[in-house]
Amino acid sequence: MMKHAVLAYLTFSLGEEKFAIPVGNVQEVVEFGQVTKVPNAPDYMLGIINLRGRILPLLDTKLKLGLSATVKTKKSRVMVLDIPTGDDKRLHIGAIVDVAREVIEISPKEIQEAPDVDDLKSSAPITGILNVHGDITMIMDIKKVFSIQELAKIKASIN
Amino acid sequence: MDSNQERFVEDALDLLNELDEGLLQLEGNPHARAPLEQVFRTMHTIKGGANMFGFENIGELSHHLETLYDLVRQEKLTVTDKLISITLHAFDKVRDVLQLRDAGMISRAEGLKEHLHNALQYLQDVQADNGSGSSLSRKIDEVATFLIRIVPSIRMTEDGNHPLVFIIKDIESLGTSKVYVFKKEEEVVQWDVYLTTTTAREEIESYFIFVEQDCIVNCVKLGTDLLSTAEFQNFLKENSGAPIGLDQIQSFSSSQNPIGNEKNEDIGSGKTFNLAKKGLHDTYIKVSKRKIDDLLNWISELIILQAQLATSSSRIKDSDLSEVTELLEMVTNRLRDTSLEIGLVPIETLVTKFKRLVRDLSKTLEKKVNFLSEGAETEMDKDVIELMSDPMIHIIRNCIDHGIEAPEVRKAAGKSEHGTVKLKAFNSSAYVNIIISDDGAGIDKQKVLLKAKEKGIVGSSAELTDDEILNLIFHPGLSTASSVSDISGRGVGMDVVRQKLNDLRGYVSVQSSPGKGTSFHIKLPLSRSIIEGLLVKVDETPYVVPLNIVTRIDRMAYETLDRVNKLNPSVVVNEELLSVFSLRENFHSGSAAPKTADIISVTINGARRAIAVDRIEGKLQTVMKPLGDAFIQQDFIAGSTILGDGSLALVLDPVRLFQVSVN
Repeated sequence: MMKHAVLAYLTFSLGEEKFAIPVGNVQEVVEFGQVTKVPNAPDYMLGIINLRGRILPLLDTKLKLGLSATVKTKKSRVMVLDIPTGDDKRLHIGAIVDVAREVIEISPKEIQEAPDVDDLKSSAPITGILNVHGDITMIMDIKKVFSIQELAKIKASIN
Repeated sequence: MDSNQERFVEDALDLLNELDEGLLQLEGNPHARAPLEQVFRTMHTIKGGANMFGFENIGELSHHLETLYDLVRQEKLTVTDKLISITLHAFDKVRDVLQLRDAGMISRAEGLKEHLHNALQYLQDVQADNGSGSSLSRKIDEVATFLIRIVPSIRMTEDGNHPLVFIIKDIESLGTSKVYVFKKEEEVVQWDVYLTTTTAREEIESYFIFVEQDCIVNCVKLGTDLLSTAEFQNFLKENSGAPIGLDQIQSFSSSQNPIGNEKNEDIGSGKTFNLAKKGLHDTYIKVSKRKIDDLLNWISELIILQAQLATSSSRIKDSDLSEVTELLEMVTNRLRDTSLEIGLVPIETLVTKFKRLVRDLSKTLEKKVNFLSEGAETEMDKDVIELMSDPMIHIIRNCIDHGIEAPEVRKAAGKSEHGTVKLKAFNSSAYVNIIISDDGAGIDKQKVLLKAKEKGIVGSSAELTDDEILNLIFHPGLSTASSVSDISGRGVGMDVVRQKLNDLRGYVSVQSSPGKGTSFHIKLPLSRSIIEGLLVKVDETPYVVPLNIVTRIDRMAYETLDRVNKLNPSVVVNEELLSVFSLRENFHSGSAAPKTADIISVTINGARRAIAVDRIEGKLQTVMKPLGDAFIQQDFIAGSTILGDGSLALVLDPVRLFQVSVN
């Protein structure tokens, strides 16, 4: 039988819940520094940060998911993400999380489908669930959560 | 398209510009040899490339046009306006086709056939003319003997592969000849070619135009058929060890073959032509734009890092560190200047385009127009040149259409029948200046004002200064041309010109005096990413206001800006009623305002406005970076810049900022 490729994921917490995203999309994890607010932007767009000379938009992941705004603590971190957005472009964006945890390896067969409850599967930005003896880690659909098209769409629907 | 085809298209587009230039020169001076050779050579190169890379249609058209010019070279055909026009139009089509940048579409392109037909028809017509008796008289050249003395200015050997070696072989075969090579340690120091031929001196000299940077050529007529005389051959044999002094030969040849006054005159004018450009053997390489952009990006990073280092170093106060920091600053600045220059190209290409435009337009409008250019070597960012091309074409069109009068009108006014349109480009500090002027009728200010009142752009009783009236021509929807023509006068254009310039953070101003002409002064920043601005703060958020639009600064109480319960939202600033955009009120209304605000008066599209900020921190020159797609909706922020302490400031786009306030 063919061996399934084991993929590395970075896990992090938003409040009580644990999430994971493929390590390949994370460039680095940095501490939460100075932010310059960009006026007239959606609330979850916190502004721009200077990452060693690179200018990155910074997004409050919890606000983006419709949760309450992140309260900055000593453990708050910025995940610097590199997300392909089709047509050869890449989106570089910083996303705040409450705690950045660890890199784990998950083989595809360990991932369960997200439960299809109350339209959760189609609207929730989750591609699957990892259940280790009741300890739930949700695999986040980064394209849905962070893609600009999605951001623009949300903005359009608000207006 | 494969990479070779791409390169061919790029090269060919450059060559087409050169071809245009050559054709226009040839039109102005139909007997000139150098432009003819250039035209012929350029067509030949295009033909070769086109055939090699699979664009036989272009190759075929070029071939037939080349044939026409080959006939001109053989003096079997003369240069006529018609010939030039056919050629220009044919290659215009080629340019259009190449700009499709798609191998399939280029090779299948329609429309080239028509031009091919024109070229063949022209040839037929001319030959028919010749057949019917009025054959072009082939000038019978007199036999003459020349001494062509070639002194290479770069190192070369006799059997080397420098084109000069082959050119000399070509010249030898023009008639009876004798060549002496003088060498020093294998390297050629001088060639003496004695040539008895029927070829004219101009033509001999034209052989060297390919290599004029690499050698000095001196061509002197010695007499008639000298080489066939035994005396002259003996004389040469006796003196073959070293180059013979010119006067020695001349005294010999005149004793042998007195040819009277003509000879003396010729010897006197035995001109030396050495057009070694700028005396430097600069070599060029083609580099992709992307690599240059990458380089500039890294330099921008370096500038930012350097500013941060300077801030840290002044805090740490270590003498060794500050010395290194200062040195680094110097090197960084040099590096910045040099690297900015890399992306710059001379505006020559634009000038050629304009020459074409003036020629075509003056023909259509039946006006006589002279186009002068000065400072075509002035350099600008390649992207900016491309963006500026259309606005400048519009200005020149206006100059010719509205500015320059018809020849009879000019004559009646006591002016020369030929109008002049002049383009002058030069650098001043961080700007490139381009002045386009004409010596036409000037702008009729009363007519402009009347029109503006008619259209309700200004109030019917408004009193305006001359400058303000002139600035009205940049207002959308104002045209003083009594009839709408194809060329200009649709009332769209001058406002677009100003808009384009604003996008590039440049500006345009106009001056005009009745009967004397109009001039447009365009000012563009040298670099699009390095900007000068005022650093301001609003509620601890740093912003940058581009300095090029700032006219004055005032300080007043924030209360006076509070117009919430008033009918008139404008604020009196320096006795002027201005619409003020308060950054605090619009973007930072959450926190308590300080007592005073700094009011920055700006001029945007000719209109005076003001921006209110908490306080002005100072002036800065900095590198602007785009915010990226995430903030595409916030287009009133042009970009962001990293300050010395590592924090980020937002660079405002004032034009769009005031659009926000309108919405």
